[in-house]
Amino acid sequence: MTPLNTLVFASHGSFGLNLDPFQTNIINLAIVIAILVKFLPGFLGGILQRRREVILAELKDAEESLVHASAALALAQQELSSSKAKADQIRIDGKARAQAIRLEGDHRTIQEMALLKQGADSDVNAEVSRVRDQLRREAARLAIEKALVSLTTKLDSQSQARLIDQSISNLGNA
Amino acid sequence: MSPPRRLSDTAYLSQMLPLPLALPLAELEVGQHLYWHLGNLKIHGQVFLSSWVVIGALLALVFVGTRKLERDPRGLQNFLEFLWDYIRDLAREQIGEKAYRDWLPFIGTLFLFIFVSNWGGALLPWKLISLPHGELGAPTADINTTVALALLVSLAYFYAGLSRKGFRYFEYYVEPTPIMVPFKIVEDFTKPLSLSFRLFGNILADELVVAVLAFLVPLVVPLPAMLLGLFTSAIQALIFATLAAYYIGEAVHESHH
Repeated sequence: MTPLNTLVFASHGSFGLNLDPFQTNIINLAIVIAILVKFLPGFLGGILQRRREVILAELKDAEESLVHASAALALAQQELSSSKAKADQIRIDGKARAQAIRLEGDHRTIQEMALLKQGADSDVNAEVSRVRDQLRREAARLAIEKALVSLTTKLDSQSQARLIDQSISNLGNA
Repeated sequence: MSPPRRLSDTAYLSQMLPLPLALPLAELEVGQHLYWHLGNLKIHGQVFLSSWVVIGALLALVFVGTRKLERDPRGLQNFLEFLWDYIRDLAREQIGEKAYRDWLPFIGTLFLFIFVSNWGGALLPWKLISLPHGELGAPTADINTTVALALLVSLAYFYAGLSRKGFRYFEYYVEPTPIMVPFKIVEDFTKPLSLSFRLFGNILADELVVAVLAFLVPLVVPLPAMLLGLFTSAIQALIFATLAAYYIGEAVHESHH
């Protein structure tokens, strides 16, 4: 690759200034540039100024809403801490109440269990005495039946008489 | 007033204009280039020189304008932000909310380079500097510049489509019906062609109209053409950037969800 200066100088002829006002069309260019310089800043400047104002207004709005939002945030944080305290209080109260209720419940349960046991004991005693009565009655009935049976087999007039005598003597002794 | 330097050039002009050859006025040159030789390549030096001026001006503008950024946008910063807003709106409108961020720098560069090239060509007194051959002017008045830009746009939209959708990008060719395939393929060639020729033709024609009018009547008469030229150059920059963005948007567009 050839270095740049040899590149440039490779093209024969030379660079230079051309100051002919008609060949360079410099007068018309000056007029066009003057027109642009006169009108473009007004046109473009207006657009840019409006844009800047819109941006500044938006920034101001944003700052205001930031202030509002931070005030609201502070308020909310304050409320949060007070409600936290309140919640703690409620929690402690609730724990205490729960403890009390549990104790009371335990107590009542124990009492009721005692009552139940007592009831069951008395039930059992009643049953026992009832059964005992029944058994006694049954035994008596059986004894009477047996006695009646043996009475019919063993009893004859002689022994009846003796029995009556004995009974009379017993009565007489009593 | 010098007599015509290159007879062939004046003959070229006299084919366009019914003038006697020996008219003692400033001459007009077309198709003259300052050739630099880079290896086997012949490159148009005047285009490079004016491109460098344009690029330098843009870089300087952006550098100076963004050196001290403030919350309150003033002066140059405000102007640059305004330009950025404008280009962003353009890109977002054409490419769509999803992909425009990737292509904003490309679209912005195209727009600013073409715009400043066009306006620089129309406003700066390039002809004060005489070159060994050819003359300085808007870089976009050279077909090579505009073809390069248009081919970049082609690469950009292919890359945009392929990188976003993979091979599904080629579904675009059969939508809405497979009959469209040949048309879409032809479109890939006509897009850069029309982009480059539109820009090149407009800018060159504008420069030629001004030059011819200045050649015929040196004062006042070229003024309307020059002002109109400023207008059309701005529009051409906008058209080029908008179409580039539109092509990219078309490539990344998801037609069915």
